[in-house]
Parts: sequence; C-alpha cells; structure tokens
Amino acid sequence: MKRTGFYSALALALLFALPAPAPAADNTITFGAAISITGKTAKEGEYTRDGYQFAIDRLNELGGVKIGGKSYKLALKYYDDETKPERTAQLIEKLINEDKVNLILGPYGSSPTGTAAPICERYKIPMVEANGAAESVFAKGYKYSFMILSPAKLYLRGIIDAVRSKDPGAKTLAILGENESFSKEVAQGAAEYAKEKGMEVVYQELYPSNAQDVSALLTAIKGKNPAIVLGSGHLQDSLLIVKQSKDLGVSPKAMGFSVGPSSPEFRENLKGSADYIFGATQWTESLRYSGDDPWKTPKAFADAFRAKHPNYKSIPYQVAESAVAVIAYQKALEKAGSIDPTKVRDALAAIDLSTYYGRVKFDSRGVNIYKPMAVEQYQPDGNKYTVWPADVAEKPALYPMPAWDKR
Amino acid sequence: MPKTARLILFAAALVALLFLPRFVSSYKLLTYTTVLSLTLMAQGWNFIGGYTGYAAFGNVAFFGIGAYTTGLLMLKWNAPFFAALAAGALLSAAVASLVGVAVLRLKGHYFAIATLGVAEALREIASSWDSVTEGATGIDLPVRSDSSFFYYVALGLVVLGLVLTALIERSKLGYGWVAIREDQDAARMLGINTTLFKVIAFALSAVFAAFAGGIVAYQNIHVAPNDFFKIEYTLQMIIACVIGGVGTVWGPLLGAAVYQLLSTYVWAHFLELHPTVLGAIIIFFVVFLPRGLMNLFRRLAAPRPVATVGAPRKRRFLRDLLLANVRASRLE
Amino acid sequence: MSSAELSQIAVNALLLSGILALVALGFSLVWGIMNIVNLSHGAFIVVGAYITFWLHALLHVDPFLSIPISMVVLFALGYVIQRALINQVIRAPLLATFLLTFGLEILIVNLLNFFFKADTRSVQTAYSGAGFVIGPVRVPYIRLGALIVSLALVLALGAFLNRSRLGRAIQATGMDLDAARLTGVQVKTIYALTYGIGAALAGAAGSLLSTLVSFDPNLGGTYTERAFVICVLGGLGNVVNVIIGAVVYSVVEVFVGSRLPALSQAITFGILVLVLVVRPTGIAGKSV
Repeated sequence: MKRTGFYSALALALLFALPAPAPAADNTITFGAAISITGKTAKEGEYTRDGYQFAIDRLNELGGVKIGGKSYKLALKYYDDETKPERTAQLIEKLINEDKVNLILGPYGSSPTGTAAPICERYKIPMVEANGAAESVFAKGYKYSFMILSPAKLYLRGIIDAVRSKDPGAKTLAILGENESFSKEVAQGAAEYAKEKGMEVVYQELYPSNAQDVSALLTAIKGKNPAIVLGSGHLQDSLLIVKQSKDLGVSPKAMGFSVGPSSPEFRENLKGSADYIFGATQWTESLRYSGDDPWKTPKAFADAFRAKHPNYKSIPYQVAESAVAVIAYQKALEKAGSIDPTKVRDALAAIDLSTYYGRVKFDSRGVNIYKPMAVEQYQPDGNKYTVWPADVAEKPALYPMPAWDKR
Repeated sequence: MPKTARLILFAAALVALLFLPRFVSSYKLLTYTTVLSLTLMAQGWNFIGGYTGYAAFGNVAFFGIGAYTTGLLMLKWNAPFFAALAAGALLSAAVASLVGVAVLRLKGHYFAIATLGVAEALREIASSWDSVTEGATGIDLPVRSDSSFFYYVALGLVVLGLVLTALIERSKLGYGWVAIREDQDAARMLGINTTLFKVIAFALSAVFAAFAGGIVAYQNIHVAPNDFFKIEYTLQMIIACVIGGVGTVWGPLLGAAVYQLLSTYVWAHFLELHPTVLGAIIIFFVVFLPRGLMNLFRRLAAPRPVATVGAPRKRRFLRDLLLANVRASRLE
Repeated sequence: MSSAELSQIAVNALLLSGILALVALGFSLVWGIMNIVNLSHGAFIVVGAYITFWLHALLHVDPFLSIPISMVVLFALGYVIQRALINQVIRAPLLATFLLTFGLEILIVNLLNFFFKADTRSVQTAYSGAGFVIGPVRVPYIRLGALIVSLALVLALGAFLNRSRLGRAIQATGMDLDAARLTGVQVKTIYALTYGIGAALAGAAGSLLSTLVSFDPNLGGTYTERAFVICVLGGLGNVVNVIIGAVVYSVVEVFVGSRLPALSQAITFGILVLVLVVRPTGIAGKSV
C-alpha cells in the first residue's frame, strides 16, 4: 500500500509533461482549423481540408499576401475533430493558445461551427467558416464569426422555384428532414418558402440522426401523394430516401435534396436511380461568375483543382467554398494592412468581393446572404447539369420525373 | 508511509494544483479541466459501477440533465452558475432515484441496457422538446472568458469527490455497497436495505455526472442534444474507472488523467490513425492491466518475492507484473 | 391510417425484422455462450459490407453469392481475435471483455477509414428497387431476399446448435463451463469457434446491409446498439428469441416511425425499459 501514492503521482507527473509542438516562424500567417478527418463527416472534412490547402498553396505560389509592404507566406495547421463538436471546441482552444495560429478557418458542419464560434469570440480571433450553414449560430450576436456560404434556409428554395417555373400547378409538397440543427433549418426554410408561394405542405416530419430505415415516413408520404418530395439530411439519408422510395414505389413529380446529390458519390451509389433528382448546391463549376481572385471563373478554379487533385472528377462545392474562405482572408488582410485579429475582423465585416464563387459580403450578423443557391439535376445521359438559376443554367430541368417502374 | 506523511503529500499536491493556472497556457489548462470533468463523471460512475457493481451504461443521461439544467436556468432565469449547477445536480439525483427504483432490480447486462435506454430516450426528448430545450438547434450559454474559473470549479468538486469517496469507503454505506457487489442475497440477509443503498449509489453517481455536465456546458457554451447525450461519455467514464481501478478512491482520477491526456497526445501526433492508436492502448490496458493501475501500484508496492535463481531479477519481475493478470484471466 | 398504408407498414416491419434478426443473431450467440457483450459486432458487420462491395465492384460477384465468402473471412478473423486477444481476459471481470471489444471496434473502424476512406458506398444491382405488388402492398425483391437469407441462417444456426455434436458442445459450454470442461470439451476451441461463428453471422448481415443501405466505416455502431436492444427484448438462449426480439423491435420502430418519427427512438427505448422492468429476461426468455 505504501508506495501506491508515489507511483500514482509519478504517473500523473509524466503524463502532464508530454511535449507540445513548436510555434511557426514570423513571416508566416498560420490558419488554424479543426476538420473532421474521421467520423461521420470524414469525407466532407477531406473536401474542406483540400479546399483550404489548395487556396493557400496557390496564394503562396503567387508570392503570398502583401501586408504593409511585407510579404507573408500562408500555412494551414489543422487537427481532426472526429466530427465531435466538443472536440472542435477543444482543438480551437489548442490552435489559438498553443499553436498560436493567427486566424481560424471553420470546421465542417453546423454543430462543430456552433461550438467553435463562441471560442473564437472568447479570444477575439476571427473565424471565416465555409461549411456550417445553420443561421442559429449567427443569431447570438457573435462578432468574430463569418459564414461565407448561403445559409440553410435558402437551400431548397431553388428547387421549389425550378419546379414551379416548369409547372405552376405543382402545389403539394412533402418535406422530411434529419433532426439536427442544420437540416432542421433547411426543412423549416423550405416549408416557409413554399407557403409564401401558395403551396400546401402536406407532410413535414423530422427523423432521428443515423436513421437506417425511413420506410414508415415514405409510406405516409405515399398516402398523401405530393407533387414534390424534398429531403433535408445528409448524403447517407438522401441515398436511403431514394432507395426506399424506389422500393416502395413513391413517385412524386419531382424529388430533391439539400445535401447529397452534389457529391460524386450520389450517382456512384444510385446509378440510374439518381436521374431526374434535384440537388441544392452552393456552387457548381458551370456557373458564370467572374471575379477578382487567382482563378477568376468557376471553370478555371475547377480545372486548376483537378490538375492538382486528379482523383476528383467533379469538384464538390465544399472545396470551392472552403477555398474562397482563404481568399476572403487574403483580401481582408491586405485591406487591413495588419495581421492584428481585430483589424482583420473589421476588414472582413466590410468586405464586398466578386469571386469565382460568387459575391462575398457579410450582413450585420456575419452571414453571406448575397449569393444565391444553385440547383443541379442528374439527367439520363449520366451527367449532372446546373439547371437553376435560369440565367446561368447549362440545360433546362427535366420534369416530371417518370415513375420508377416506367424507366 | 504514515498517515501524516500522506496527508502532507496530498496537501502539497493540492497546493501545486491550485497554482497551476499561473504557469500553463490556457489550452493546457483546458485539457486539465477536461481531465477533471472526466474525473467527476468517473467518480460518479465508480459509486454505482465500482463499489456497488452495477454496470450503469446510461450515466450520460445525468451529464446531459446537468448540462441542460445549468444552461437553461442561466439563460432563461439569469440564475448564477453555482445555483444552476446545484439545481442540475439535484434534478439529476431526483431522476436517478426515480429511475433507479425501477431499473436497479435488474442485474448485469440487463441493468446496463435499461440505463442505456433511459439515456437514449432522454436524448431524443431533448432533441424534440423545442419549447424548452430548443430541440436539435441547442442552446448557447453566456460566454465566460477566464479558463481558470472552470479549472477551479472542477478541481474543487474533484477534491470533494475524493474526500466523499474516501469517507464512504469506510462507512456503513460503503461496506453495504461492497456487500451488494459481492453477494446481494447475503447482503440482504445481513439486514442491508439493498434497494435504498443501490438508489443512493445511483443518485450520487448522477450528482457527479451532472456536475461535470454543468461545467462542460458552461465552458463549451454551445449545448446540443447529440453532443451532450452521447454514449461515448458513458464509455469514457467506464474506461477511466477501469484504467485507474474500479472501486478505489484514486482510480477515477488516475484513469481519467491517463485516458484523457494520452488521447490528447495521440490525436495531436497521429493525424489520421489516432483512433487506432487509442484502440490499441485500450486493448493493452485491458489485456495486461484489467484490474487497473491502482492494482498495479499495489502490487509494485507489495514486498517482492525472492527471485528464482538464474533469471535476471528485474526482468523477471516486470514480466511477472504484466503477465500476472493474463495468467489469471486467460483460458488454457 | 388507411388500410393500404397499414398493410404496407406491416410488410415493411416484417421485412425489416428479417435483416435485424440476422444483425442480432451473432451478437446473441456470443453473449449467450461466452457472456461477452461484443461491441466490435458492428465493426464486423461493416467488414462484411466491404467484402461484398469490393467483390461486386471488382469481380461483379452478385451480393447474395458473396455472403458465404464474407462469412468465411469473418469467421477466420473472429477466430483469430478470440484466440489472440479475448481469450487473454476471458476470466477477468466482465467490464474487461466489454472494453476490449470497444477498443477493437474503434481500431477496426479507423483502419477501414484509413484504407478505404470515408466514401459512402452501397451495392447497386440490376434488381435493386425492383419488386412485386400484392394489392396495395409493394414487396421489393432485395428486402424479401434478405428476409429469406436471414431466416435460413437463423434456422441453420438453430439446427447446428441443437443437432450437431459440436453445436451441443457449444451450448453445454454456455450453460456450465466447468461441467463442459470435465466432459472433455476443449473450452478454448469452443469459445474461438463461437466467436468466429458470431463474426461470420455479422459478416452475412453486413453483406445484406450493403445492398439495402449505403454505408461507410462508421455504420456499425448503430447496429451494435440495435442488436443489444433486440437481444434484451427477445431474451437470450434460443435463436427463436432473436426473431421475436427483432419482430417486436421492427414493429415498434416502423409504427412509431410512421406517426412520430422524431420520437421513434425515445418510444422504442421507453418500451424496452418497461419490458425490462416488468419482465427482466425478455419477452420470450425463461423467467428466473
């Protein structure tokens, strides 16, 4: 018994003394990020990281960022938050306090963003986040967080508009969403918008996260026979909904999802069942934006990215929105003429850019409501086309979706 | 070590811990606070899972209740933190007592799954009860900037937990728990009110989980159901107890420190494979030290048997130490 | 609820219960015989799903034909894991095996994530989504096939345990370890075989799931939880109990899911706790 305490103390002392990594050099601006490399959103985390890194490398190739006559190189320091929001908070603390990063780039997903934002607020370090669309985070009055992507409420509007432009008679809508902050806002936003447009929401329910069977919801929807079925969840949910709709013969005139179709895995998993399905997207490479950034157009951005990452066939919007967060920082740094976090924050708040990603400007809450969402559709030739907004569409939308057994 | 010497050591360690925030970065401090929060949960679990031998698998429910009660009281009624924290602990104890009366009749895995069920049900209720918990959107507590505050609160409660555990261990209650763990029928025969004793253990475990929940909520600011009612916290508190040693005073603290600091170290240094490394570490502990570090230290401190002639003494000793558990636990 | 909707929901529940019975079957065997709550069960399911996926993607093997392959591979994996790791702590306190399998779970899932990346995958065949119609009810072929395979495996395991010499040795070991040992049963081998069979059944479940849902390395956890619940609902000790547990679970999940989807798990678990409190050995289990 006697030496028990001694050994315990020794073990604790050893553990507390584990070494810490060294900080970066002083002509470098380091961005810190907690990104999901493992866990539920590991794939999207990969897109996010690749987007950040791609923009940073490109800016470094062009000579870095010039601030007050001095050139700074950019660097990214990131850790894996395992898709766990409490880990995100912890890692943001680590990045700010221990790695002494200069600025924060956001994590993937709304929940991690929700825990990262107050930490940035605590230390007055700005965070430009590119992958958390829930507006609830931005209703708290945080001054240092900026959402560069279109917020959740807008996600499904484009699909409703695209369908209504084809068929003003499509008046009934069913929405099923995952019970999670982002998806819930998407579903609410879609329902509100549909009611504004005089449509009837015949079914609106939330299902628990990690659902493995939605046959019960789909059977109920089938009974209501809506013209449009919209889903707001994540990739796996949208795949499940399509598969089970086919199993159960749920054949609305149009079907669309907030998240899922924009990912290349959507078609790989569903093959021909993906045809006619609409997907909301923040960005596609066929949009006709032009801007003041290293790539200027969506097409040029996509080509440059593919040249560096040949394993990407189509470019997910997460890559583009993540990269543009770095561009926003570059412009804000140059304008602020300083790397002082508060000055950078003020410059960000005043920014108004045209980029390959579209307009970047933040409202008083820090949300970029100035860029519209686009809509993509898989068509039977095996490709995905941007079909909305009409003025930038590649092809007209195909409507109605034929019944599953008549294909 | 005589008792006074141990007390002096304990006091010295405490003083060192009290001055720690002056010397470390606020991230390090956060890491230590995380260790202390996990210690609180593990100390709680130790009452029911360690001393009483009931493998509670849903203690995260009380963590979540603590977090939400603390958060909602601070947000909606502007309650001071400590009052809100105490209210969360009381509510948790009340819920645990009610649930406990029903599920503590169950044994072994059945008790485990029932408590898991309660936790999962509460998670979904928190996700759906929009008018009170704001559902899946979650709530945001006021921002508090001094990280040493959370550290001191957690440290104070951990010390309370240590003292309480040490006192109970040598009381009628503690002996009763162990008697229930070893043989419930015999315990009943000895005149122990087993239901009451078990419910007390369960309620105490809930109190400490709720303390941790309240602290983590205030520190992390954002509270959402999927983050505060997840089964992982339950697993972590059990792992901390097992690594440290179940049914011991110091086990939860030691286990929480080893687990939390090791995993912090591992994820900072193995970017993509950190879960593999962590999994391997857990497997190592379970295979070689399934009775925990406290048990290892006890054996280290015990008088050594005379080494057999021939084998180098030290190596033989270490090997025996590590393999003793394997030899006792494996099936030939 | 219209009668058409009601009958469709009933069929959905029935089809779901088939696959869930198979998900729980191996878990129940390992738990019943070895008293191990195998938290790595879900990881084995995912490994099975990957085997079917790669055989289909690379060699165009039909997912149903790849089931035996994934069972053999997982049997071997399970056998080795039991001999090398679990056997070392089999007599340690209950929590030891519990944590060991938890460590295995995170290790396997992370390795899958590392080698196959987190891409979402599923097996899409020519007959995916096809089905036949009886009155107002649609029955998809794949789900029906999964139900048949599941039932066949449940019955096969039942026959193996009750009819064959080895099966009876396994059951005897589960009932009384020391007595079985005295009669000359090689307990170590029996345990390894049991764990291997449990893993093989998880592999079969994974193969079937790969055609029904999309998966990534993290799929398993939710199925481990379901297996846990089903075993408790049905009770241990008999393959039929697993079926009963799976049917009860599916009916509750599907019916509640059609009315109150956001609370489906709360209600399912509420019922679970009630069942436990009222009948601690499960609906079909023997009372103590």
